[in-house]
Amino acid sequence: MKTLKLILSLMMLTFLAVFPVQAKDMIVKEPPKSLSKFYPPESKEPKWIQQMHKMSAHFGGVFVNLKEKDFENVDKHADKLVEEYKKTSEMVPEWEEYFDIKAAEEFAAAAKTHDIGKAGKASGKLGKTCGKCHGDQEISVWTKFHWPSFHKIKVTDPIDEKEVEFGKYMKSISSSMKGVTVNFGEGQYDRAGKALKVFKTRYMELKSTCSKCHTTDDVKLFYVGKDADTAFSGLANELNAEKPNPGNFWKNVGLLGKTGCKNCHLVHRTYSFIKEAWEEEDKK
Amino acid sequence: MKIPPRLTNLLIGFGCLAISSWVMLYFIINEKFEWIPKEVLELARDPELLERPEAKRCSECHEAIYEAWKDSRHSLSWTSKTYIEASENRTKEKCLACHIPQSVRGEKPTPRLDRREEGIYCVSCHFIDNKMNGPYDLMAPPHPTVRNPDYGRSKFCGSCHEKTFKQWQATKVEDTCQDCHMPRTKGRLTQKFGLNLLHKKRMVGDHRFLHGEITEKDIIVESELTEKMFTLSLLNKTIPHGVPTADNGDPRLYLYIKFFNEAGDEVDNAKEIIAPQQETELPYGKKMVYNYRLFDKVSRAEVELKYQPAWTKEKTDLWKVSVLR
Ligand code: HEC
Ligand code: HEC
Ligand code: HEC
Ligand code: HEC
Ligand code: HEC
Ligand code: HEC
Ligand code: HEC
Ligand code: HEC
Repeated sequence: MKTLKLILSLMMLTFLAVFPVQAKDMIVKEPPKSLSKFYPPESKEPKWIQQMHKMSAHFGGVFVNLKEKDFENVDKHADKLVEEYKKTSEMVPEWEEYFDIKAAEEFAAAAKTHDIGKAGKASGKLGKTCGKCHGDQEISVWTKFHWPSFHKIKVTDPIDEKEVEFGKYMKSISSSMKGVTVNFGEGQYDRAGKALKVFKTRYMELKSTCSKCHTTDDVKLFYVGKDADTAFSGLANELNAEKPNPGNFWKNVGLLGKTGCKNCHLVHRTYSFIKEAWEEEDKK
Repeated sequence: MKIPPRLTNLLIGFGCLAISSWVMLYFIINEKFEWIPKEVLELARDPELLERPEAKRCSECHEAIYEAWKDSRHSLSWTSKTYIEASENRTKEKCLACHIPQSVRGEKPTPRLDRREEGIYCVSCHFIDNKMNGPYDLMAPPHPTVRNPDYGRSKFCGSCHEKTFKQWQATKVEDTCQDCHMPRTKGRLTQKFGLNLLHKKRMVGDHRFLHGEITEKDIIVESELTEKMFTLSLLNKTIPHGVPTADNGDPRLYLYIKFFNEAGDEVDNAKEIIAPQQETELPYGKKMVYNYRLFDKVSRAEVELKYQPAWTKEKTDLWKVSVLR
């Protein structure tokens, strides 16, 4: 059973590779509201994904069994694929056009000839219907259902203890960072030292936001973990030294900017950007 | 009015009979419940109790426990304002498991679809395999029960308090979560008239799931003020998990320090945020030391500790000390 599952998932992967997404001019549009019924919290389980797995398993099942010459199961999977494909086509009315029931039926008929060449040929047309929708919709669906919104997160600024929106908080982090670097550049080391305390306190406050989306602490090894700690102590050491070394200072600023700010932005900001655009549109 | 002696005798007779049958029933129900035939038990059963009813149904008999639970944070795990905010109006899928659990069995639960407003309620914690699981081997006429030793173990709470459980395990302290957060007192499991007379008194765990208090005996403070330095240390001496401790909540201790000169003017200040989400909590048995370099002449430091629970932004004062040079 386990090996069967493995084969099926491998099939699934090769399948997705065979029907690549053509996405030179990609448009990321908010998915239709009717899809929400198939995702938590409206549904207990992510039913849309489960439906995808079903189709994919039957699609793959046809070929696995053709190779093994288990024709009884070829027929079963072919029929099931048509059945699940039809069912999927009725789930989201706005997406009905993506489906080509005739292509599914033709593929099933070809599979039932038990000729692997014919089945392979007929699969192309059906597979394209899958690929087309994935190309158009997958990123949108990920953004909508797998990415929470940073705009709805509020952060209590640890310095003045006022609550602000995440984006605004980012701006104050950014300006406290400048407080450190500008003062350092001017040779005002004591002021830079005080600004560093504020900056560090604000930066470390970000650690409290991770648990609003993540349920394991392991993620805190990144951006706000050891590397950030090391960079902050490096900066503090320089500022406490009799004669601060600019080379070391800027090296640590760079480290923080890259492993902290930049890497976190690369992972999280793209989606945040798209969501913000949708939210703006919804408001109009 | 005069009661004829024969009637008095009859009344006394009935009285004795009633008392002795009550004694008999009491004895059977509490000690020898295996004597009761299955068929008789079936008559007393209320099948609706096995349909995962709301907590209010259980309160028909377990009134005291229900009132305590109503007072607990568990009853608010779905309706809590701070939770709704943090979970983006309850849409985050990852968050459902522990806030609206189907059934607790010593590992991370799965979420449920029905009666979400009840949060973590009686059925989530007690209903497994069509029986009420609990700490006792007893007979409850209205519903089947089974003794399950897990109810006295920290692992049970660790199903959801995953991080706190891990911290507790590492301390090797024997007291369980229940020992401190559900202290037991002698009482009755049920308050429904009749039932309460038939069932003996037992130890009942406090279903308010008490928060626990932080006193100066639990967190030991030491400090030293010199010309150039102020050093402060905090030691969590008695609480066998981080203080504060959390899974996805964000409880905090705020430590405020103010420095004054000879004239009594504030010359500088500092602040520490002691919070599990920032990995700055006070671990069990390990002294945490905070150092402050003093730039001005300081003759007095004032230290204030405040606590902010996970479910509110309001702080409560714990203590305040003044340190002289
Ligand atoms: C109408 C649009 C549409 C069509 C048609 C469609 N899919 Fe999908 N599929 C999606 C979307 C949207 C996702 C992303 C779901 C998510 O990650 O929540 C997806 C994801 C998948 C996945 C990955 C699931 C995962 O666990 O991440 C597989 C496999 C899949 N589809 C197979 C198929 C197959 C096979 C077909 C054709 C027989 C098909 N899909 C047709 C929209 C479609
Ligand atoms: C608004 C929600 C949100 C917040 C806040 C957030 N993340 Fe994420 N992050 C995500 C999502 C969604 C993903 C995609 C994978 C997933 O769902 O875990 C992700 C992915 C990641 C990854 C990639 C690997 C992985 O484990 O998924 C890391 C590392 C990460 N985040 C670290 C952090 C850290 C550190 C913080 C706090 C400083 C943080 N995140 C705050 C939503 C968030
Ligand atoms: C949790 C990971 C994370 C870390 C670490 C992080 N950022 Fe950000 N930052 C974000 C996200 C997400 C946004 C987008 C916020 C939004 O769209 O509301 C953002 C936005 C910004 C913005 C634009 C704000 C605006 O609304 O115009 C600036 C500036 C910024 N970050 C600076 C920084 C600096 C400087 C650092 C490091 C010292 C840093 N960030 C560290 C996640 C992070
Ligand atoms: C978070 C899980 C949880 C919830 C919610 C909960 N209980 Fe309990 N219950 C326990 C544990 C643990 C014990 C064992 C306590 C002990 O050590 O005595 C217990 C014990 C009991 C007992 C046996 C008496 C005792 O205290 O030992 C009864 C009866 C009971 N619970 C009924 C209820 C009812 C009724 C509700 C709802 C109003 C409820 N419980 C809600 C966990 C829970
Ligand atoms: C009609 C009355 C009645 C109702 C309603 C009721 N119970 Fe009970 N329950 C009892 C009695 C009686 C006992 C046994 C009391 C005793 O022996 O002291 C009991 C015992 C228990 C125990 C202890 C089990 C053990 O072995 O330790 C649990 C747990 C329990 N009930 C849970 C519930 C829950 C949950 C509900 C609601 C779904 C509920 N009960 C509703 C009458 C009731
Ligand atoms: C089904 C998951 C689950 C189980 C099992 C569970 N808890 Fe909880 N507990 C929670 C959640 C979620 C909260 C936060 C509820 C809220 O405030 O919204 C909480 C809150 C608490 C609090 C209050 C914390 C505060 O900030 O005041 C205490 C104390 C507590 N639990 C103790 C226990 C003990 C002791 C047990 C074992 C007998 C236990 N819990 C079992 C999920 C659980
Ligand atoms: C020796 C007694 C003791 C034991 C054992 C114990 N706690 Fe606590 N707990 C406390 C005290 C005292 C507090 C209040 C201090 C504090 O806020 O951390 C507390 C606080 C809490 C809080 C409130 C969150 C916070 O810190 O603000 C939770 C949740 C909690 N404990 C869960 C647990 C769990 C789960 C276990 C078992 C794994 C456990 N406790 C074991 C004494 C204990
Ligand atoms: C593994 C179980 C578990 C999961 C999953 C979980 N929580 Fe919790 N949550 C708890 C426990 C236990 C508490 C009580 C202790 C504490 O404060 O962390 C709690 C408390 C909270 C609190 C503070 C109490 C309140 O009512 O405000 C918030 C907010 C919260 N959780 C939000 C979330 C969010 C958001 C998610 C999803 C990203 C989430 N939780 C996922 C177990 C969990």
